[in-house]
Amino acid sequence: MKRRTFIKSGAAGSIVGLAGCVGGESGGQATTADEETTADETTEAETTDDETTDDEETTAEGLSGTLTVATYSSFVEAPSSAPGPWLKEAFEERHPDVTVEWATPDNEMNYYIQRAQQGVDIDADLFVGINVDHLIRIDEQLGDPLFASSADALENYGHVEDDLKFDPQQRAIPYDTGYISLVYDSNEVENPETFDALLTDEYEGTLIVQNAQTAATGRAFLLWTVHNQGKDDYLDYWEQLVDNGTQIMGSWDDAYTAWENGEAPMVVSYSTDQVYANRYDQDMSKHQISFLDDQGYANPEGMATFADTDNADLAAAFMDFVLSPEAQGEIAMRNVAFPATDWAELDDEFEEYAKVPDEPVTFTYDELQGNLDQWVDAWGRQIASK
Amino acid sequence: MRGADKSRASDLRVTTTRGAGGWLERRALAVLGAATAVVLAVVFYYPVLTVFADAVRVGGEWTPEIVREVITDPFYFGVLAPIFGGDFAQVGDVAANTPLGLFGFTAYQAALSTIASVLLGVPGAYVLSRYDFPGRRTIRSLTILPFVLPSIMVAIGFVAFFGSNGPLNDLLALVGLGPVNLLFTLEAIVVAHAFYNAPLVARVTTAAWESVDARMVETARSLGANPWRAFRDVLAPQLLPAILTGALLTFVFTFMSFPIVLALGGFQLATVEVWIYSLVQQLDYAEAATLAVVETVLSLVLTYAYLRYEARQAGANRAANPPARKRLLPDDPTPTAALERAAVGVYALVVAVVFVGPLVSMVAESLTGPQGFTLQYYEFLVERQATGADFQTKPGLAVRNSLLFGAATLLVALPMGVTISVLTTRGGRGSRLADAAAMAPLAVSGVVVGLGMLRGLVFGVEVGDHRVQIAGVTAIVAAHAVAAYPFVVRNVSPLLSGLDRSMVESARALGATRARALLDVELPLVASGVAAGAAFAFAISIGEFDSTVILATGSSSYTMPVAVERYIGNRTLGPATAMGTVLLGVTSLSFVVIDRLGGRWEA
Repeated sequence: MKRRTFIKSGAAGSIVGLAGCVGGESGGQATTADEETTADETTEAETTDDETTDDEETTAEGLSGTLTVATYSSFVEAPSSAPGPWLKEAFEERHPDVTVEWATPDNEMNYYIQRAQQGVDIDADLFVGINVDHLIRIDEQLGDPLFASSADALENYGHVEDDLKFDPQQRAIPYDTGYISLVYDSNEVENPETFDALLTDEYEGTLIVQNAQTAATGRAFLLWTVHNQGKDDYLDYWEQLVDNGTQIMGSWDDAYTAWENGEAPMVVSYSTDQVYANRYDQDMSKHQISFLDDQGYANPEGMATFADTDNADLAAAFMDFVLSPEAQGEIAMRNVAFPATDWAELDDEFEEYAKVPDEPVTFTYDELQGNLDQWVDAWGRQIASK
Repeated sequence: MRGADKSRASDLRVTTTRGAGGWLERRALAVLGAATAVVLAVVFYYPVLTVFADAVRVGGEWTPEIVREVITDPFYFGVLAPIFGGDFAQVGDVAANTPLGLFGFTAYQAALSTIASVLLGVPGAYVLSRYDFPGRRTIRSLTILPFVLPSIMVAIGFVAFFGSNGPLNDLLALVGLGPVNLLFTLEAIVVAHAFYNAPLVARVTTAAWESVDARMVETARSLGANPWRAFRDVLAPQLLPAILTGALLTFVFTFMSFPIVLALGGFQLATVEVWIYSLVQQLDYAEAATLAVVETVLSLVLTYAYLRYEARQAGANRAANPPARKRLLPDDPTPTAALERAAVGVYALVVAVVFVGPLVSMVAESLTGPQGFTLQYYEFLVERQATGADFQTKPGLAVRNSLLFGAATLLVALPMGVTISVLTTRGGRGSRLADAAAMAPLAVSGVVVGLGMLRGLVFGVEVGDHRVQIAGVTAIVAAHAVAAYPFVVRNVSPLLSGLDRSMVESARALGATRARALLDVELPLVASGVAAGAAFAFAISIGEFDSTVILATGSSSYTMPVAVERYIGNRTLGPATAMGTVLLGVTSLSFVVIDRLGGRWEA
């Protein structure tokens, strides 16, 4: 087990009873101070950790130790809805000798790819939030595998929907999915219904999308246009789209905020938008979903174990838990995304307000490999050319 | 044995400093200079150079290929690309399709932003330094507030205030004007850049205006110069270096601007930095590094050109002797006085629209929920502080860290900046180059600095069997100090080089060490510059994001801007705006306190 996570877990354990007091802060400080003193302590910490593991191996479940789960920050931080804290608590309840630690580096997946590139060991066991773009980038950039295939070790893998399995090598196990769609204010515009309609005068200056280079929703929308219009024609389509006053903003937050402020009546977002609108008691007529050409672009998210983890059993147990009916329902409702399995326990709100397109579309790993960068680059250069 | 010569020379002094303390005092500048060099090498030059090297090193091989590809790519360099490539036949074609290129457009928007910032900043400096009114000092200390605001906050404030359904358009509609559609335009980017940088121009110029020698103006007037000539020939030369300093910094910053461009302008108006960010996201380091090197070279060449100009202005011996301040209500009402007050009134209105409007909208957003007024986002902050898990970001800790890092940065950056100012104001071409090099931390892309920190410090370096990593509090303070000290230099150097050197020489002749002469003679005379530098140093630390977020990963040394980003929630920016408002409040209070403390010393 890694030094840093071990020290962090020690600090976490000592302040459980002090949550909210300055004790939390001093716990954090200990971590910080330790980080500055580098590798010298590694041996000591490892020794301590091994002893801990030995002591705990006698428990009934047989599972013990610390599992470090890497993910993106909003999975654990997002106000009120982050699934991270629930997952940790529920999993630790089932396995009293296990501690789940979250790692949320700012560069997310790139952080780990860069570690591998620089020859630095990976200090996490599992990554939650991997998508097909990541897999392509990893396979292009790294010679040695970053993630291991773990599907065979999972009891619940059979419940994962087949058409969501996006990794041919089964490293990434899907746990949820979103469908990219338009969200529109029906007081301002009618449902455009087709991609072609977006090019008409009626929809001039009505749409806000996101930068396909850096925003997940923007990229999914771009891929959707490639899928729908064809790889030889999508750039023409975009030229007309931009000529018709479509705004391309940096992030989903920028775009959604501008849309909420009424800068344009339509925005590229997720088809689960009404679940939020209902939760926040918003006017549903402003939150209508449009599936262009009856399609929606699926972008499933997965989890995968790092190839050099020495915690593979624990990681597998955690993944099985994430795929369990209870966790599938919780993650879906908190992350407001669709479950990736056939047995999630969902409440009525979700069933009523989360919309599924008639025809979900998506590119497979094989279709994207070797094309993705080219498609996105050509798009970026066309739009930003001056 | 130069040391022996030196000690013999010091024997001639009236008082000599002996013992270890004396040695330290005599060598203080050299020691500080060496310490500064080490800090710069470890937390700036090494990390950044690891990234820059990628421009010419691909897969372990040295190659000029990527650089060649980039500079001959019309997408980046417009009509310059075929010229760089020697393919002159292509110039016409390129001029028709992509005349500007990404760099040309980026320079264009930066130039517009600089003009706007100067136009908006200089009148502010005039009002703040020439008028006396209640709250003047407080307003002066708050001028650089916009400088620390996270771009997400500024974007929220601007979209809310300038938006088609925002308060500005409501007000314009009341007087029968509008609507104004500012968003998604180049104008929006320029105004937002002015929001960030006009305060910088104002703050730097205020410091200079407060230390002008009014007696020279009086002399000129008594010799028959009319007020305009007195201004042009006497006052303007004293102010111009400060205004140009502000303009230079503004150009450099807006040239490398990034999130605000996408949030208010859109991808069609993408800048070079937007491209660097997306290339780094795709892990295309070679191309990203090449673009970043070009950015840095451009910024440093401009800085060098400016410093040569500044050097020519220096040496005019003068003492700070500002004219008496005017009252807002003139003592004896003349048409000129009335006209000037009217202009001040118009300026106040512009300030209200560009600064107060977005700031108030920002705060209003944190108090507005789907059903109108709400305190729920602040309740979230309180709840997170009280019951948040240890792996979650706590607002109180972020506030405490920001203040601690800000104070520590101040303590590190001030000596660093003053040392470099003293060492580089000795004159000569070499010192201009050194001075330009000292500005390098401002001239490097924030994205590259972040990546360099990750590779060079967080991942560390193999030394023998150990991997030496630098992260946490020390690294963050060092990184903040490196980002902040150039502001100290730029505020102190012009004033320092304007000092009468004979005063320092007299002090030295009377036996004072170089450090003692600096502390007792020079620094008190350039106090307004030191105070402005201190305020900037603190502000830079509070506002720094790119390095902090990298170095704070996995620890609890996150700061307020990092917390703002982490509180961005699904479908609600409420908690982030509440944290941003806390940042605004805490920072405002700190600025006032710093200014009051500095003011005691400033005389």
